Amino acid sequence: METVLTTYFVNERYRRLDTYRQYGGYEALKKAFAMDPGQIIDEVKKANLRGRGGAGFPAGVKWGFLPKDLSRPRVLVVNADEGEPGTFKDRLIMTRGPHLLIEGIGISCFALRAHACWIYIRGEFVREARIVDDAIAEAYAAGLLGKNILGSGFDLDVTVHRGAGAYICGEETSLINSLEGKRGWPRLKPPFPASVGAFGLPTIVNNVETIADVPWIITHGGGTFAALGVEKNGGTRLIGVSGAVNRPGVYELSAGVNLKDIIYHHAGGIKDGKKLKAVIPGGSSTPVLRPDEIDVSYDIESMGKIGTMAGSGGVIVIPEGACMVRSLSVLMNFYAHESCGQCTPCREGTGWLKRIVGRIEEGKGREGDVELILDLCDNMMGRTICPLADAAVMPAQSFIWKFREEFDRHIGEQKCPYGNRF
Amino acid sequence: MPILTINGMNVDVPQGTTILNAAKEAGVEIPHYCYHPKLSIAGNCRMCLVEIEKFPKLQTACSTVVNDGMVVRTDTEKVRKAVTGVLELMLIHHPIDCPICDQSGECGLQNYYMKFGLHKSRYALEEKVHKKKVQDIGGQIVLDAERCILCSRCVRFLDEVTGTRELHFFNRGDHSEISIFPSRPLDNNYTGNLADICPVGALTSKDFRFKCRVWFLKAFDSICTGCSQGCNVDAHHKGDILYRLKPRWNDAVNQAWMCDFGRLTYKAMNEARLLTPFVREEGARKVAAWGSLLPDVAFRLKAAADKGGTDRVAVIASPQSSNEELYLLRRLATELLGTRNLVFTHRVAGDGFADDFLIQADKNPNSRGARLLGIPDGAAFDALASKIAAGGIDALLVFGNVLGVLSEEETAALLANVPFVAQVGTNEGPVSKAATAVLPSASVAERGGTFTSHVGRVQRFRFGFPARGKAKNPIEILVALGNRLGAGWTFAGEASVFRALAESEAPFAGMSYDSIGMFGQEAKCSK
Amino acid sequence: MSVAFSETGRAEVERLLTRYPERKAVILPALYLAQREFGYVSDEAIVYIAGLVGTSPAEIEGVATFYTMYNRKPVGKYHVQICRNISCSLLGAEHLIEHVSAKLGVRPGETTPDGKFTLTKVECLGSCGTAPVMQVNDDYHENLTVESIDRILDQLP
Repeated sequence: METVLTTYFVNERYRRLDTYRQYGGYEALKKAFAMDPGQIIDEVKKANLRGRGGAGFPAGVKWGFLPKDLSRPRVLVVNADEGEPGTFKDRLIMTRGPHLLIEGIGISCFALRAHACWIYIRGEFVREARIVDDAIAEAYAAGLLGKNILGSGFDLDVTVHRGAGAYICGEETSLINSLEGKRGWPRLKPPFPASVGAFGLPTIVNNVETIADVPWIITHGGGTFAALGVEKNGGTRLIGVSGAVNRPGVYELSAGVNLKDIIYHHAGGIKDGKKLKAVIPGGSSTPVLRPDEIDVSYDIESMGKIGTMAGSGGVIVIPEGACMVRSLSVLMNFYAHESCGQCTPCREGTGWLKRIVGRIEEGKGREGDVELILDLCDNMMGRTICPLADAAVMPAQSFIWKFREEFDRHIGEQKCPYGNRF
Repeated sequence: MPILTINGMNVDVPQGTTILNAAKEAGVEIPHYCYHPKLSIAGNCRMCLVEIEKFPKLQTACSTVVNDGMVVRTDTEKVRKAVTGVLELMLIHHPIDCPICDQSGECGLQNYYMKFGLHKSRYALEEKVHKKKVQDIGGQIVLDAERCILCSRCVRFLDEVTGTRELHFFNRGDHSEISIFPSRPLDNNYTGNLADICPVGALTSKDFRFKCRVWFLKAFDSICTGCSQGCNVDAHHKGDILYRLKPRWNDAVNQAWMCDFGRLTYKAMNEARLLTPFVREEGARKVAAWGSLLPDVAFRLKAAADKGGTDRVAVIASPQSSNEELYLLRRLATELLGTRNLVFTHRVAGDGFADDFLIQADKNPNSRGARLLGIPDGAAFDALASKIAAGGIDALLVFGNVLGVLSEEETAALLANVPFVAQVGTNEGPVSKAATAVLPSASVAERGGTFTSHVGRVQRFRFGFPARGKAKNPIEILVALGNRLGAGWTFAGEASVFRALAESEAPFAGMSYDSIGMFGQEAKCSK
Repeated sequence: MSVAFSETGRAEVERLLTRYPERKAVILPALYLAQREFGYVSDEAIVYIAGLVGTSPAEIEGVATFYTMYNRKPVGKYHVQICRNISCSLLGAEHLIEHVSAKLGVRPGETTPDGKFTLTKVECLGSCGTAPVMQVNDDYHENLTVESIDRILDQLP
C-alpha cells in the first residue's frame, strides 16, 4: 500500500535535513513556489484532505475562509497539542519526520500568503519540541526558512511555542489564547479564527498530520492523494492502536480501511488470547462500539453513519474482563481534570459526572444514578462554548447505552463485579 | 434595520443589536448573568440560551446579533429545560448562605431560581467543592469565592474599566476560583462597583455588610456630592437613615459607575447632624425656636447694614448648595441686604486628587452653579477673609459647614472678629462651633433641587425623606429671611424657584425640570 | 525579596520578544524559564514576570495555575508522573502507581522526605502505543513493567 508520510520513518536519520533531502525532501516546496497560491489550494481541495486533528473539516475549504484582502498579515498555526487519549501519531511525525512538517508549513504558508507560523507543541513533548527546533534551525541555515526562501522572494518565520499541560489547548481558539499568553479558554465563534485569530490576525489552525500531508499532495497531485482513500475522505491516515492488542502502534492506512482489519490484521488482534469487549474508535471522546459494530469502513462519513466518529484516529481496544464502569470513571476523571472552567455546564457537569461514575464504581452508586447521568448529559450536550462537554458526554452516554447492565450491577450489588480492577 | 421575531412578536432594531437586547425592546426578559452592557461580551454563564429557527443548537442571546428575519423563541420546553439545567449546575456547589448573605433580596440566583428553577437539589451535600470564604481583598470589598458563579464580570471590569487587573481566575475546572494575588489587594478608586456588578454575594460591600436587609430599603434619585462630576446615584434608606449609594445610569456623566469616596458620602447625612436651631450666649449653646430665631437673624443682618453701611455685612455661599438656594441667597445678599460682599470658595481640605475617569479635584457638587449665578470665588474669597480678619464685618451669613481649607482653630480665630455670625449648615464642624446662631439645614437627601456639574450639566436631585430633627429646607429658610427683609417672595418649593431662576439667569434660559428630565441638561455656558 | 532572570535568561526573553507581535505572548515561555532558573514558579517569579510583560501579578498567577506543568510549589529532584488514562489503565497503570507509591513511601501528590521524588498521576501523555508510560522530569519512559520502573527509579542519581 502506498504511504504518504511514514515511507522513510524507519530511518532514524530521516529527521536530519541531509537525509531528508536525499529522499527528495523540499522538492515539493520548489514545485510549489512555481505554482500560483490558488492552484495549491485547489490541489488540497481535490485531495479531499480532511483535518486530521479530530474534527475532520476539509482543509482546502478552511483555507478558503481567509479574507481576500491582504491588508492584514495572515498566520498559520500548527496544532501539535496531541492530547486526545488514544492519539499518538503527531509525535511520530515530529520525531521521525520533522522536515515533512516544515516543508508542509512552507508550502501551506505560501498558498495562504502567510509569513508567520507558530507550532504549538504540548508541553510534555519536551524531546519532540527540541527535535522540531533543531530541524527548524537546519532549515533556516539552509535558506529554507527566513527571508527570500530559495530565492523565491517569499519570507517565512516559524517558531515553536510550547504548551504547558492542558488538553483543552487542542481546541483551536483555546490554543490561540494560549499562544497569546493567556489561560487556555476557548473563544466564542463567530468571529472565526480566519477573520480574528492569533493576535487579532486572520489565522488558519491545522493539525500536524494535515500539514505534513501537503508536500506529497503537491508532488503527486491532489487527485492521486484522494484516490488513496475513499470518496469524501481522501488519502491515508496515521491510525494509532492502543490498549489490549498484540501490536499497539501507529499504522499508516487508507482512510477507508476497515476498522476490524485495523484491530485484527494490522494490530495483531487481542492480547493474551482474550475476546474483544469494546472499541473506542477515534480517541476517548468518540462513542464506544460493541464488537458487532466494528465491521465498518473507518472513513469519516461511514463512522458518522453508525453514530460515532473516526476522530483523531486513536483506536482504543478494550478486552473482555475489563470493567466498563471503571473505564468510564477513568475518562470522566480526565474530562473533569481538563475542563477549562469557563462555562457553567462543562465546569460543573464534568465534575458531577466524575463523582457519580466514581461512586458507582466504588460500590456506592444510588438508585437513579444512571438516569441522573443521562439527564446531566442532556443538559451539557451542545450547551457550551466548545465541544469539551460533548466530548465528556459521548463516552458517558454510549457506555451506558451499550453496557447498561454493568452499571445496574454495580449499583444493585453495591460493588464492582470485576473487583475494582481492569 | 433588521426585524426580529421573538415569541411571535416583531421588533425592529438597529443593526448590530444582540438578541438579548432586542428581546428587551419587545418586553421579553432573557435570563443572564455574565452579560453587562458596559463590559465586553463573555458568553460563559449560558443562562441566555435561546432557540433560533434553522440553528441546530441553542445559541446564547447575549452574543448573537440579530439578522433580518431571524425567528427566536424563549418560551419552548427545550429552552426552559436548558435554563433550568444551567441553573441547577450553577447551584450544585453554591453554599446555602442566604440567611447570612447580604445579597439576599437582590440576588441573581435567588431571582432566577424563583422564576426558572424551583427544583430540588440532586447533589450530595458532602460532595460540594469548598472555596475560601470571607476574604478582605482590599478597597470596599469582601470576597466569598464559594458563592461565586464565575461570570467574570469583576475580572472584565478591572481589566476594561480600571485597567488594574487585581482579580483573576486561578486554577481550572470546578476548582476555578476568583482571587487576588497574595498581598496585592484591590488598589483603585472604583472597587465599590464590583459589589454592584456581582450578581451574587461573592463580592459584597464591607461598608454595607450585615447592616440592613435590602427589602427594607427604599430608593430615590440623587446626585453624589463628593465632587463636581455629578455622578447620578440611587440613595437607599430606611426611615431617615441612609444605608448606601449606588450609581444610577447616565451615559453622559458616569455610565454605570461611581467612585469609592463618593459612595461613602452618605455617612455625613447620618452622622453629626445639626438638629435644632441654637444660639451661643456667653460661650454656651442655648436652644432657640425657629419662630423667633429667623426674624432675629434677619433683624441682626439688616441692623448691621443700616448702622455701619452695606459694606459691613457679608454673605459666604456654599458650593454644596443647590442652584435654587444659591439664586435666592444671591438675591438676599445683593437686593435685600444691598451688599457686594458675596463670595464662595471651592477649596476643600484634602488632596484635591483627580483622575482621568470620574474623580474631579473640586470636591463640591455645585461650584459651577455658583459661578454661573455670578457668585465669585478665588481672590474674592481671600479678599473678604482679609476684611473679616481686619474686623471689617459686623454681621456674616454663612452657608455650609466649613470655610474652605481653614482648620477649626483658624475658623474660630477668623470668626471671632465678627460680632454676629449666622450659619445655615447640615453638620457639626468648625463653623457651627464658632457661629452665633445656627440654623440647621436639611441634607441633600431631605430636600430637592439641582446641581450644575463641572462641565455645566444641570441635574436634579430628589427629595428622599423628611428632614431630621428640626432641620429645615434651606429654601424655606431663605424665603423666610427674605420676606422678613421685605422680599415679598411667594416661592413654595424648589420647582418654583427654578422657574424664576430660568427666567432671569442666562445660562439657564429656557430650562425646566421637564427639560432636565432624568439625565440632566447642559447649561448655556462655555466649558 | 525580588528575583530576576540571569543574563542568559534575560537574553532569551529578549530573543523571544522578537518572535511574537505582542509582549504577553512570552508569558508561557517566561514561566518555563522561571521554573528552570528558580526551581519552581515562586510568588516572586510571578511578580517579576508581571513586571516584564506589563500586567498584574494576578493575571500571571491566573496563567500559571491554569496549566499543570508549572509548579507553584517546589517538587522533588525527580518528578515521577505516571499516566492514569484509559490505554495505560487497560495495561496496568494503576498497579504500577500503587507499586511506586509503596516503593517510595508516598501517596500520589506527595514528595519523599529526602526531596528526591515527587509522585503524580497525570493524564494522557500522548504515547498510548507504548503504554504504560511515565514521564520523569523531561523524559518519557515507555512500555513500563514493575521491573523496568524499579530499574529506572533505582538508577536515578
